[in-house]
Amino acid sequence: MCGLCGLLGEDIHWSDPLSAELPRRRERLQRITAINRVLAPFRLNVCDFQGSAYLVQGPTGRQELASGLDELWRKAHAIIGRPLDPLDPRLLQHLEAAS
Amino acid sequence: MSIPLTVITGFLGSGKTTLLKRLLADQDLSDTAVLINEFGEVGLDHLLVEDLAPDTVLLPNGCVCCSIRGDLKAALLNLEVRQRRGELPVLRRVLLETTGLADPAPILATLAKDANLRGHFHLGQMITLVDAEHAALQQRLHPEWLAQVAAADHLLISKDDRVDATVLAQVQERLSRINGGAPVQLARTLSGADPLLRSQGPRGEAIASELARWTLFQPVDAHHHAEAQVCCLSFDAPLDWLTFGVWLSMLLRCHGERILRVKGILEVINSEHPIVIHGVQHCLHAPVHLACWPAGPRTSRLVFIVRGVDTGLLRRSFAAFLGQPRVAA
Repeated sequence: MCGLCGLLGEDIHWSDPLSAELPRRRERLQRITAINRVLAPFRLNVCDFQGSAYLVQGPTGRQELASGLDELWRKAHAIIGRPLDPLDPRLLQHLEAAS
Repeated sequence: MSIPLTVITGFLGSGKTTLLKRLLADQDLSDTAVLINEFGEVGLDHLLVEDLAPDTVLLPNGCVCCSIRGDLKAALLNLEVRQRRGELPVLRRVLLETTGLADPAPILATLAKDANLRGHFHLGQMITLVDAEHAALQQRLHPEWLAQVAAADHLLISKDDRVDATVLAQVQERLSRINGGAPVQLARTLSGADPLLRSQGPRGEAIASELARWTLFQPVDAHHHAEAQVCCLSFDAPLDWLTFGVWLSMLLRCHGERILRVKGILEVINSEHPIVIHGVQHCLHAPVHLACWPAGPRTSRLVFIVRGVDTGLLRRSFAAFLGQPRVAA
C-alpha cells in the first residue's frame, strides 16, 4: 500500500512505474492521461476508480471496471465491439494530427 | 533464492529427450530437477529419463500451451516445498522439457504472472532444438515450429549427422534470418557443464553479450523470410515509460499471437539505468534494470519478430505514440 495516498494498488504488471519517485496516485493519473489520449478516437474515456481500478466509459453510457491494463483493453473491446488496434490507420492519423 | 527454469523446447522428434538423457548422465547437473511435459495418455519420455534422474516430475495430460499451466505451477511449487522440507537437495536449476507441440508463451506467462511462483522461480534460457533434417518441412507445415524458433534465447541443431554440409548451412542461415539474436550451436556439442544451462536469463551477466548480438544483428532481405519478419527500431531520445507501456500492452493485447518475440534495451526518462525487456507473444518478462550500458553507442533498440504484421505500420504506430525512431537496416 502507498503510505502517502492510502492506495492498495493493482496487480503487478510489467508496465508499472520503474521507480517510486512520484506518489502512486500521481503516477496513476499520468497513466490515465496517456490512455485517454489513445482512447479518444474510439469515443472511450477512462477515469480512476478508488485508486485500484479503471472505469471505462463508452459513447452510449456503458461502463466497465477494469483492473490493470490488460483487462482495460479487454473491457474496451467489449464496449465498442472490436479490438483497440494500435496499428489502426485512423488512430494513427489522430495521434499524428495531435502531435 | 530464485531458481532459474531453463526450458527445452523443439518440434516433435527434434531430439529433446535424447539431449536431456545425455545431459543428465553428467554429474554437472546433479543439482537439477527435471520436469517433462508429455502429450498423450502414456508419458513415455518420463520413462526414458527416469533411471537417470529420479526426481523427474511428469506433467500429465497434454500440452503446456493449453491445459497444464496449473500443473506446471503445482509441479514447481511441489519442488520448492520438498526442497524447503529437506526432501530434496538444494536445487540450482530446473529443466523443463516441453512437448513438441508446445507454444512457449504460456510457460513464460505462468512464471511471470503467478504470485506464488514469483520470487521462487524465474525464466533462465529458452532453448529450442531444431531438427536439421526436417527444418524446412516443419517450418512450412507447422506454425508451432516458427513460434518455438522465434522465442528461443539459444538455438540447438540436432541430427546434423543426417544431412550434408550444404543443408546444414541452409538450416543455420534459415535460423539466423528468423532469430538472428540467438546463438546457434550443434546439440551434440552441448555438455552438462555448459554455462548455457546455468544461465540466469535476462537477470544474469550474460545479458551484456546478448545485447551486443542484438546491436550487431541486421535483418536482411528487406526483413522477409517466409512468414516471419524482423523489425528493428532504434532511437536516441529517452522514452516515456508510461506511454511505452500503454503502446506495447495495447499492441500485445491486439496482435500478441503474431508477435512471436520482442526484446529491447531502452533508455527511459528519469532512469539512469538501461531497461531490458523480453517477451514472447502476449507475455512480457518483468523489465530488468542493467547496472550500466553495454559497450558501444548508447542507443535504445527494439527488435520484433512478427508473423503477418505490417512492419511499416508498426514503425508508424511507434512514432505516433512515442516519437520518431530511426529504422535499422
